Amino acid sequence: MLISYLPILVYLIISIGLAVLIVALSEALGKKTHTAVKDLPYECGMVPISDARHRYAVKFYVITMFFLVFDIEAIFLYPWGVIFKPLGLFGLIEMGVFILILMVGLAYVWGKGALEWE
Amino acid sequence: MVVPLIYYIALSSALFAIGVIGVLIRRNAIIIFMCIEMMLNAVNLSLVGFADHYQAIDGQMFVFFVMTVAAAEVAVGLALIVAIFRNKATVNVDELNLMKW
Amino acid sequence: MQVLFLILAAVALISGVLVVIQVNPVRSALYLILNFFTVAGIYLLAHAEFIAAIQVIVYAGAIMVLFLFVIMLLNLRQPEEGGEKQHLAQKISGAALAGVTALLVIYTCTRINLGPAKEMVPGFGSTEAVARSLFTDYLLPFEVTSVLLLVALIGAVILARARLD
Repeated sequence: MLISYLPILVYLIISIGLAVLIVALSEALGKKTHTAVKDLPYECGMVPISDARHRYAVKFYVITMFFLVFDIEAIFLYPWGVIFKPLGLFGLIEMGVFILILMVGLAYVWGKGALEWE
Repeated sequence: MVVPLIYYIALSSALFAIGVIGVLIRRNAIIIFMCIEMMLNAVNLSLVGFADHYQAIDGQMFVFFVMTVAAAEVAVGLALIVAIFRNKATVNVDELNLMKW
Repeated sequence: MQVLFLILAAVALISGVLVVIQVNPVRSALYLILNFFTVAGIYLLAHAEFIAAIQVIVYAGAIMVLFLFVIMLLNLRQPEEGGEKQHLAQKISGAALAGVTALLVIYTCTRINLGPAKEMVPGFGSTEAVARSLFTDYLLPFEVTSVLLLVALIGAVILARARLD
């Protein structure tokens, strides 16, 4: 059973190894010269206008929070889908109630205008 | 080759202790919150270990619901931190002493 | 399998300590993601396949994204750990207490008889096994969860947008 996860382990080892190899090789072989202009952050050839660490708008937080809540809803849908057939109508009603209650939440945030970007 | 139950308990206790230490020594509310998540994870780990040991699926169900509650808790908790930051411009828990007598 | 467990446990403990000692919250969050991934690996060893997948999707995928967004949102650039030296005695005693408690728990568990490990049930921990339990024995908690999520949704919207309305 656990053997079916072997590809993930191999993939993980290869990707970590490759990343370490590339960084180490470029660190070991590359020629290092530092000038003031060269150490600037790379912005497609433009001179950087300001720092990258400015404060983000709270809108992003609200959207991510919606993602989190509806992600949980999706998590409950996976096991439901697996045994949908044996559960029959009973399962449909169960999940219907669950989704209906979350729909109230969706309607609330929609009505509140939290989904609007501006 | 099965992993003994005591290994799970030991790792779970150690992770929980690290989380407690983080809550006690850090003053940044966000890092304290992350340490609380780590403590929840430590408890989940021991539940999964026990579920495996006794082959009872209920342990895994508890973990499932703990994760759901953790997600809801994070959504509200981080909203609280954002709201506090707007009012006091800090997330240092030492400076949040409004309700201290 | 024990070797795998020990490797994962070592990575989990090291990353857990790094979460606590990093000054920069972004680094703490990244180490916490590593911690969650190793815990997911340990879930796989404990035949909790579905829980391991959920761990990656919910914790590493959604919760930590929310944490990183809030860190970027608040953008704490000043070293906010001003009172680091302030309560040194409190901190040391607190940390010692946490460590001693953990050691006591482990010691107690080595002394009591936990019973023999049961034979592995075929399909234990698979999505189907979890689903069977979830939609029959745990029907009420499942439905109540939706109310909890609804409350979290409304609460977070009200708290986050308090100033905008």
